[in-house]
Amino acid sequence: MTLFLQQIVDGLSSGALYAATALSLVLVYRASGFLNFAQAEMATFGTFVVWQLWIWGVPLWAAVSLSLVLSFFGGALMERTLIRPLTRSASHLTLIIVTLGVMLILLNGAGWIFDFGVKEFPSVLGGPVVELGPAVISRQSLVVICTVFLLAAALWVLFQHTRIGLVMRAAVDNPESADLMGLPTGTVLTISWGLAAAIGTLMGVLVAPQVFLAPGMLLPTLIYSFTAAILGGLDSPQGAIVGGFIVGISENLAGSYLPGIGADFKQAVALAIIMAVLLFKSEGLFGTKGVIRV
Amino acid sequence: MSMLAALHRHRPRLAVSRWSSWLLVIVVLGYLLYTPLVSVPFANTQKSLIFSYALVGLGLNLLTGLTGQISLGHGAFFALGAYLCAVLVGNEGWFYLSAVPVAGVVGFALGYLFGRPALRLQGLALALVTLALALVTPSVIKRLDGITQGREGIILDIAEPPSFVSLDQDQWIYYVNLLILVAGFVVCERLSRGHIGRSMIGVRDNENVAMTLGIRPATVKTRVFAFSAAMAAIGGVTYAYAIQFVGPEAFGLDLAIAFITVIVVGGLTSNAGAVLGAVFIVYMPSWTQEINQSAAGIGYGVALVLCMLVLPAGLIGLVRIVGHPLVRRVPFLGPNR
Repeated sequence: MTLFLQQIVDGLSSGALYAATALSLVLVYRASGFLNFAQAEMATFGTFVVWQLWIWGVPLWAAVSLSLVLSFFGGALMERTLIRPLTRSASHLTLIIVTLGVMLILLNGAGWIFDFGVKEFPSVLGGPVVELGPAVISRQSLVVICTVFLLAAALWVLFQHTRIGLVMRAAVDNPESADLMGLPTGTVLTISWGLAAAIGTLMGVLVAPQVFLAPGMLLPTLIYSFTAAILGGLDSPQGAIVGGFIVGISENLAGSYLPGIGADFKQAVALAIIMAVLLFKSEGLFGTKGVIRV
Repeated sequence: MSMLAALHRHRPRLAVSRWSSWLLVIVVLGYLLYTPLVSVPFANTQKSLIFSYALVGLGLNLLTGLTGQISLGHGAFFALGAYLCAVLVGNEGWFYLSAVPVAGVVGFALGYLFGRPALRLQGLALALVTLALALVTPSVIKRLDGITQGREGIILDIAEPPSFVSLDQDQWIYYVNLLILVAGFVVCERLSRGHIGRSMIGVRDNENVAMTLGIRPATVKTRVFAFSAAMAAIGGVTYAYAIQFVGPEAFGLDLAIAFITVIVVGGLTSNAGAVLGAVFIVYMPSWTQEINQSAAGIGYGVALVLCMLVLPAGLIGLVRIVGHPLVRRVPFLGPNR
């Protein structure tokens, strides 16, 4: 029973990371209609910027704030320069290949600038583990889980209760009509990309103390984040959160209880979930069903 | 902007006269047959590796370029071929060339079984599923360590030259791989023209129209997927010949991206482009490694982005930009002169 509870708690803390990355993926999907394969590397690069500033003696909170702003503009710049010229005319294939290219550039660029060695990263909150009944959880993991919920709440407020959120929803729902209404659809797409990049960096900073900072540190989690986004429904932020936790918990439970899975083979769980969702319920748990007029 | 538009313009394949295309084939084949005799073993192994990537590129070109279906997961079938070769030839002692048909048949069957459900998906979803397949491959290999020897990998010493030729092993393997590539190239060239090629392009451009013309898109897509998986598996066999080692870490995300780079940089929809792309991904790292160990990865990334933004037809597009005016102006080069 203790093992079971511990697996659930571990699943929650890894699920929080998947959920946050899935949230970034969903933001980009809502804006541009495809998945950003470079998301994990963008987050890692932003985390490296924080690390470099911290090494130079900037206080951690200032370094994080500065890097968040830089990430926001980096993501916005990527949308403007690389993605926007292609979204109207090009196929999924083109966009996927561009983001794969950006992923390679950021991965190896980080390796070139900061070298491929593993770096230690300061925790936001140190101290002993917290006991939850028989299970234990580190303080940093608690921070990660709380941050994800705060992010989700903030996005919900942004989308449902602000003017810019309304424009964002309109731009996703019907780009042509929104354009004709004179809404700044282009600007809100750029803002979505910037927000996604900033969320990525924030999560990178929070998980870096546990996974250790290195180029490609989030690559192993990318497949789980994609799974979370698909499971929750690609256009649903709440879905991304729920999907993240489901994937985190089921991956941990499968690793310890299903015979023949083990630590190495857990990614097969992700492949199975993706296949099952896409084939049987392709809109995911919370996504909108696609309707085609014929 | 007009320059960009010029680069983006679609250009058909070069219409060269019959004798000049035969001349090109003879010159290229002559060079390829002569060069291993005067090169160091490392250079021959590098070229053998190009041939195995080109085989994968040819299959992917049919799948992605002509039929319009993305796959990031052909590294899995490549690994399948390499491990079939390593286990059957290296451990079980089969004749080394027998691995080629076995890998072809097994690759086709598994490609069919995977493609049948997966190809109901389109675009993004298909890319994700196949990406997941590529990411799972190394852990599957490690999981099956009873057969694959897990993380250690399998060291091989196969494809000895027969006693009646006086060639070194690297030269012999070069010729074996070249022969397999030429055979694969001819098959893909035949497939991409005529009825089959036109049905693939029909499925890519408009499934509904293709259906009204009596083509079943699901059947075409699944068969092309299975065929390209078979090509990838055969490519894996030639990879095992060339490298003489198989290990799980060679078959992960990096390889999946390398294969995409092959067809994108070479030029989608062109068989010759797939071969050029394979040349690019093998030689580019050796040109850039003097700068920095990260330079190769950055080079791949920049090449992918640039090809999509500036040169969608890839290297073969460059060849056509230079080639079309030449073919038009130089006498005897063009058709019907």
